[in-house]
Amino acid sequence: MSKFNVLEHEIVPEHHLVPVDEEMSVLKKLNIARDNLPKISINDPAIKALEEIHGKLEPGRIIKIIRKSPTAGYYEYYRVVVKSVI
Amino acid sequence: MKSLLWKDTKANIKKIAENAPCYYGIDYVPEGKVSSGYITADKTNFEFEVKISSVEEFKKSDEIVLKKKTGLKSIIKIESIRKLDKIPISDFKLSENINEIKTFAEGERFIVKYREKDELTLSPDQKEIIDDAVSRGFDIPVSLANKLIKYKKSLSDDKYEKLLKRVDLELKKREIDPYEAVGIIAAQSIGEPGTQMTMRTFHFAGVVEMNVTLGLPRLIEIVDARRIPSTPSMVIYLTEKYKHDEDRVRELIKNLENTTIIDVADIITDVGEMNLTVKLDKLKSNDRLVTLTDVISALEKIKGIIYNQVDDERILIKLQQESFKKLYQVQEQLKITPIKGVNKINRAIARLDPKENAWIIYTQGSNLKDVLNMEGVDATRTYTNDIIEVENVLGVEAARNAIYREAENTLSEQGLNVDKRHLMLVSDMMTFSGAVRAVGRQGISGRKSSVLARAAFEITSKHLLKAGLLGEIDPLAGVAENIIVGQPVTLGTGAIDLVYKGNKK
Repeated sequence: MSKFNVLEHEIVPEHHLVPVDEEMSVLKKLNIARDNLPKISINDPAIKALEEIHGKLEPGRIIKIIRKSPTAGYYEYYRVVVKSVI
Repeated sequence: MKSLLWKDTKANIKKIAENAPCYYGIDYVPEGKVSSGYITADKTNFEFEVKISSVEEFKKSDEIVLKKKTGLKSIIKIESIRKLDKIPISDFKLSENINEIKTFAEGERFIVKYREKDELTLSPDQKEIIDDAVSRGFDIPVSLANKLIKYKKSLSDDKYEKLLKRVDLELKKREIDPYEAVGIIAAQSIGEPGTQMTMRTFHFAGVVEMNVTLGLPRLIEIVDARRIPSTPSMVIYLTEKYKHDEDRVRELIKNLENTTIIDVADIITDVGEMNLTVKLDKLKSNDRLVTLTDVISALEKIKGIIYNQVDDERILIKLQQESFKKLYQVQEQLKITPIKGVNKINRAIARLDPKENAWIIYTQGSNLKDVLNMEGVDATRTYTNDIIEVENVLGVEAARNAIYREAENTLSEQGLNVDKRHLMLVSDMMTFSGAVRAVGRQGISGRKSSVLARAAFEITSKHLLKAGLLGEIDPLAGVAENIIVGQPVTLGTGAIDLVYKGNKK
């Protein structure tokens, strides 16, 4: 059967791909340039899992992460896909 | 769940997309229950995914979109259609063995489940509370809305307004000011309790070999992002079938523990006769449930030896080509020959957890990737304390959560109360770049953009020399560099530039 899906693990928060036409509104809301967002590698296991849903992802796409916070309930966090991380 | 796969013309796909949700008449009867469909236009790559809610027998009606004009057999209700980046036919497990779709086929896609963000949607009650608060001019966080529901019902409107006012006040008090130096506050808040931590390690009751580093050494390990922690260990949760069954758990442990020949047997080298004897230690082998047959099957993998079973606990090993060098090599190789188990996991014990009322396996040594793929392991909860391993297997967001969880556990184990937000800030900073980076010269501080700030931290001359050679520019935006040049730092009131407009004449 299919291999183990990392997105199902309890320690991995929900990852969602932001549609291209919504990217500008996200950047506007955060008042930030795309390069200043936190990064996530294109080789990250969670991105690999997302690629199985959406097909190949290009660097520069924005990922919305819905984190569970011990103090603030749920909140959204954004990361931008990059080719390589330092 | 099976999916329906079919080939269709572009005109038909366009028709579906325009009319969805709609009924679609097809000349095929699906055998099993189908909930989704994939449409291909070129026989091998699927470009569209549809959600199918029901399959019915064909009846004539005007509202149905037809695939063909004649020979229709059933109707499927298409709820929605979406375009995919082309997925190849190899992504499907087909019921028939074919490599292109001519008409229809049924198959299962190797798919990952997509969790919907259902937790985030508000209940009507919560929405009412928040809308009400907004209309009164208060900004109430979602997490509080739940608690306010019962007060809204029991209190009078006047009193409820007072309550909201008080809640808002308390929230405002706890808000951090813009340009507050949160990093310094976090560093001091974690650093001060750190001085009170003990240097002890924690032992599992009764099992001497098993201990876990705790206290200050562990905290240093976490923020240093060590490649291998000093005591890697895992907590393995089991699936429903396994977790109440002691025999199955014992079997699983047997398959988990990495056992080499030296663990269960003595290796005696006879230089005069040029042979080796493997003597099984009854006590050790019974403990690890290893028999002589297991040892013999492990020996099969070693090349260039002839082995014979002498009696029920000894195996005599001779060399095919006799030489002292080879004898020594074989002896060394025998020591590390694995008999069974998962690599890197040295010891595993099971404990009956009173909270879960089920067996949980604790291990010494960690190998998340292999363990998650084992049968009987609950792959959604199984956890390791090796943060780098979590990053490699589950991703950077999981590593961020792991850093937080480990640091929080380490501190609370010692009875120290550090605000969660400080630890969250540290873990966010450590994973900002997409990989786990240490706090310190190798990590966060070593990669600051400002030359002066890096030089002020460690290895001053190296940074200044390099900056001089490369002609780096320092915009003086941070704290350390502004202190060096004697300006107000860019924090608090210093972050704001004041402009004075004099009286215009």
